[in-house]
Amino acid sequence: MSSEPILEVGEYYNLLTTQLESAFGRRHPRWVRGEVAKVYEKTHLYVDVVDAGSSSSDSKRPVLNAHCWASQWNPLKKKLASDGVTLQPGMIVNFFGYVDVYAPQGRIGFTVTEIDVAGLLGDVARRRQELIARLASEGLLEANKRVPLSPVPLRVGLVASPQTEGYSDFTGQLLNSGFGFDIVLVKTAVQGEAAPEQIVRALATLDAHGVDIICVVRGGGSKGDLICFDDERVARAIATCSTPVFTGIGHTGDESVADLVAHSRAITPTKLGEEIVTIVANWYDAHVRAPAKKIENWTNAVLDEATEYVGERRRTMIFAVRDRLRAEQRQLANTHQHLLVQSRHLLATATQMLAGNRQLLSAYDPKRRLAQGWSIVTRSDGTVVHSVAGVKVGERVRVTLSDGTFESTVDEMNGVA
Amino acid sequence: MSEIGDWSEAAQELNAIVMSFDEGEVSVDDLFAKLERATAIIEALEARLESTKAKVEELAPRIARVADDE
Repeated sequence: MSSEPILEVGEYYNLLTTQLESAFGRRHPRWVRGEVAKVYEKTHLYVDVVDAGSSSSDSKRPVLNAHCWASQWNPLKKKLASDGVTLQPGMIVNFFGYVDVYAPQGRIGFTVTEIDVAGLLGDVARRRQELIARLASEGLLEANKRVPLSPVPLRVGLVASPQTEGYSDFTGQLLNSGFGFDIVLVKTAVQGEAAPEQIVRALATLDAHGVDIICVVRGGGSKGDLICFDDERVARAIATCSTPVFTGIGHTGDESVADLVAHSRAITPTKLGEEIVTIVANWYDAHVRAPAKKIENWTNAVLDEATEYVGERRRTMIFAVRDRLRAEQRQLANTHQHLLVQSRHLLATATQMLAGNRQLLSAYDPKRRLAQGWSIVTRSDGTVVHSVAGVKVGERVRVTLSDGTFESTVDEMNGVA
Repeated sequence: MSEIGDWSEAAQELNAIVMSFDEGEVSVDDLFAKLERATAIIEALEARLESTKAKVEELAPRIARVADDE
């Protein structure tokens, strides 16, 4: 044991506080740069700050428990709001403040008195813009976009971490689509220092495998978590890939350099899955469903038309034959009627002629003459006496009158030469 | 009675018979023969149509599954 006095805990903290404050206390504030890992506001502001770009999976990464008392925070908050900035996880910020030892919880904190958002944001943005400009000057922003995309991208290469929500969101869209997607997964870390190299290798593996499309998928996270997708190696690997690379990285609004060089980007893994399903669905609609619908419609139309045709011909034949028979019946009836009229006319004419003849004959009837007073003289042999020369005196003759006869004897003859 | 041709030929022959009726070219002596022929053609067409419909009915649900797939 050394000769130094043994301190009580409180004494130790007092000593520690004095030492720290002498270097980092209120009179010696410092600027500290870091990424906001957690932010919580309840009257005062509480922020966990980590090194920019560090991974949340790194259990040894340093965390600064910073706070900003309401008296400082309210004017700062107003200033940030006027610049359109809201403090949120992933944001890289310069904090100005001093050390704050809180003995009851054994915690060394950091009291923030000023915040410089613009500075570090500008620095990160500048470096990112420089990378984008280099890629653009080499034509790499458009290189992968020029790779022809299969009209039916069913063989999907996937660069992702299988334990993540991004992975399950993306694969869920494909596997529940009803289409036969064949997913070839190459597992990689999707955050941390090892991620860029692993992603580059995965892209090369899938490019050589012969898939229709390669999807790089990662759910939301802090800027530090997503920083591997701003890595130049990853960007170049995507740009030079001979297979179309689609990205679905982070949340809505996150845009990584990987997104910029990719063939296409979706705002989330879920959206990426939806977009690929839509590509296949559109092809299916155009090349399978629509032709099937046309065939169905045409088939029904042909059958309907044929049914209508046969029915119409059947009705037409029935009416045509009926009309034809009726026409014949009418013709026969007309002929019959004509013959009847003709016959009646002939009969009438004959009757009239007979009546005329009968009248003519009656004019020559002897009875009619006898009735007028004429008489007929006949010999005993019944022959008619036409001339006085035909009888002799003393000859017996018969005289016939209209109402009978009498016998007579020729006494005398006159007029005989 | 001669054989009935394919759908197109049969329809053509049937149309010709109907036209001969329309134009009054059918004598009573020919009427029965033409009616008999037309009836045979119509029945043959109907039989073919029913047969085709039956086959289509078998296939229709399969193509409808594709056509109506949402």
